[in-house]
Amino acid sequence: MRVPPAVNVVLLVLGATAFYTYVGQLVPQSEVLPPEEIQIAADLTTDKMITIGERIAHGKGLCLTCHTLGQSGPLRFPDLAGIGARAGTRRPGMSDVEYLAQSLYEPDSFVVPGFNPGMPPIHKPPIGLTDEEILCVIAWLQSLGGEPTVTLQTMHPYRKQGG
Amino acid sequence: MKGGRDVKRWGWILAALVVLAGLAATVRVWQRLERGAFRPPVWAAQEEPPPRVQGLEDLTRAREEKLRSQPYEEAEYRQLGKLNSRVVVWVLAQLHLLFAAFVLAVPIFAFIIEAIGYATGDRRYDRLAHDFTKLLSVSFSLTATFGAFLTFMLVLLYPKFMNYLFYVFSPTLAPYVGLFFLEAIFLYTYYYGWGKFHPLVHLGLGLGLNIVGTAIMFIANAWLSFMMSPGGVSETGVVLSVWDAFANFTWMPINIHRLIANVAFGGSVAAAYGAWMFLHAHNDEERAHYDWMGYTGNFVATIAFLPLPFAGYWLASEIYNYNQALGIMMMGGAFRWLFIIQAVLIGMIFLAANYYLWVGMGRIEGERRYQGAIKYLLAAIALCFAVWVTPRAIVATGSEIRAMGGTFHPVLRWLGLMSAKNTAVNILILTTFISFVLYLRAGKRAASPRARLGDWVQATLIAAAAAYVIYLGVYGYFVEASIRIRFSVYMVLAVLIAIVGSLLINIVQLKGAMITAQPKWGKMPLFSQYVLIFIAVSFTWLMGLMGYVRSGLRQHWHVYGVMRDHSPDAYTPTLGYATKIVSVTVLLFFALIGFVFWLASLAGKKAWAPASEPVLEPAGGWTASESDGGH
Repeated sequence: MRVPPAVNVVLLVLGATAFYTYVGQLVPQSEVLPPEEIQIAADLTTDKMITIGERIAHGKGLCLTCHTLGQSGPLRFPDLAGIGARAGTRRPGMSDVEYLAQSLYEPDSFVVPGFNPGMPPIHKPPIGLTDEEILCVIAWLQSLGGEPTVTLQTMHPYRKQGG
Repeated sequence: MKGGRDVKRWGWILAALVVLAGLAATVRVWQRLERGAFRPPVWAAQEEPPPRVQGLEDLTRAREEKLRSQPYEEAEYRQLGKLNSRVVVWVLAQLHLLFAAFVLAVPIFAFIIEAIGYATGDRRYDRLAHDFTKLLSVSFSLTATFGAFLTFMLVLLYPKFMNYLFYVFSPTLAPYVGLFFLEAIFLYTYYYGWGKFHPLVHLGLGLGLNIVGTAIMFIANAWLSFMMSPGGVSETGVVLSVWDAFANFTWMPINIHRLIANVAFGGSVAAAYGAWMFLHAHNDEERAHYDWMGYTGNFVATIAFLPLPFAGYWLASEIYNYNQALGIMMMGGAFRWLFIIQAVLIGMIFLAANYYLWVGMGRIEGERRYQGAIKYLLAAIALCFAVWVTPRAIVATGSEIRAMGGTFHPVLRWLGLMSAKNTAVNILILTTFISFVLYLRAGKRAASPRARLGDWVQATLIAAAAAYVIYLGVYGYFVEASIRIRFSVYMVLAVLIAIVGSLLINIVQLKGAMITAQPKWGKMPLFSQYVLIFIAVSFTWLMGLMGYVRSGLRQHWHVYGVMRDHSPDAYTPTLGYATKIVSVTVLLFFALIGFVFWLASLAGKKAWAPASEPVLEPAGGWTASESDGGH
């Protein structure tokens, strides 16, 4: 019995669609939720700030979307491993906190040689971290090979300007 | 026999009436039972309503009183029953875009084919162009219907967001509506005026239709690209410059990308129509015509498909330039696996398109010269396909991950990087181009004494481009990102130079070439027609998938960085979920386009006549080539 072409066409459309749907189920499945809002208490210790800073870096701050931790080779953005130790020596006359703050508030003012500019200011939307959240991120960055010193009372040029 | 048929028909009608009467009686009894559920057992004339009815009236009154005491408030979101608002808008938007893409694409190549017919005086082109436009009028109505449906749903379900978009783009709304009217005027005059005007006037109508259609798309693209890369507004969303909002960062790349993609998609759907008609053809003449139609549609789709990855690079690079995090989220973040699915789709399309070209050489009787090359072309396509679908991180079990020392395979990880992907896609494009050139040369012998030299220059151009692409692909692993990122541009340029240069040589070589065998249109295996339909399904699915990533990239933002999404759907679903929605949309599209095909095919059918009367002459079989006024 000859199958009518229309039946073949319907089966083909269904089969091809089913095949692509199946391919879609084979890849890793994960939902991406909106970033969680983190409450920052006024009496936060530096150690707690590091923990919160790490959470922000992995979540709302999107830091690790572009940066890597402990990778080498042809990278798109500088690897963050050891940044706590390097930050104080990167630019003459700038402390590690000042350098890290500048990198976060005005990322294009200094671009690490070999890389292209491209990081957005993270105190503005769409990332839009608060001054306190940025201090926590600085604490975490300091902890990557350096000595964390910031507290929620630490002042830097951008914090004065920003509020 | 006739009497028997009548008895049978009346039997069916009687059975249907009995079923309907039974249903009506059941409903009536049910209503009675419902109303009388809480009545006292005695059927007495009562002034007061039964307790249940009274209770319901009290509830309604209380609800009304509560509503009256509340002030009116603007809603941020509304809900339509239990429907998922995002899915409703997603499916409607995709269906609207698919039909709009088709309606914008068909006039582009119909106009070009008509112009070729006019320039060459070959009336077959005119008939072909007219056949393509038969699909337009119903598709245009469906585009408008889905557009209106989408707008209603957006205003209903996302009122605050739509209010903001209207605020930003209010100056564009009236021109959009005006252009839509113009498009309707051009489209229907173009279609119904076929063969009724001087050919140049008709071509002018086609040109007008294309200009207006493109302008409409450019306006709509401003709205959607603004959502992804807003410009011309302050951080709080206040409009500073409508033009900057309109011509935002990704507007022009999306315009160009969509224009090319629409032509590729439209060509593939038109080819599917040709295939459908071929499969239902009644004689060799019809088969020959629809084989040619399918071939032309596929030719349009393939030619438009070749530069599409380059337009894609540009769009992606502008997304990176606008916001690096957005670009990395697309290629290396939540959506990175989506590009593996995309690679499967594009690989399948390339394989199918090449296969169709190779099978097409069979139309040219006695052509055996290039058959030996096919196995090498197939090997190159398969290799590039394999490289392109190789992800950087492998999906593996715990023991496999331990054996590899991580989620990255020690060897295959290098194929997951952009250097390898760019190399693979460029070689894939070159390979398809070679298949195309071989098809063009089949059945012809260059008459020029310098033909041999031309062959060598062509081969050298293609080989040099391939070598340069592979060199850059390998070198990309050893240089910094700031240098590597420019390599994709160099690769594209090399491939484009090879394609354009080689095509020009081919045109010169085949001018006045000796025809050794004419293509026998219609002499194609049936299977090849199903390949055309498969290509159309794959293109449609690809459009749906890439539409999802473009829109989904904003994640929890209605307008990226300006207006946050606070709805329950403000999260990025899994790719598995997204692909299911894409599939539903594709199936709905094909159900509807099947209806369009069927309507278009009615034009060639015989007019209805009662069985006892003689059959009338065909009423709908008019074609431009048969009419006096055709050109």
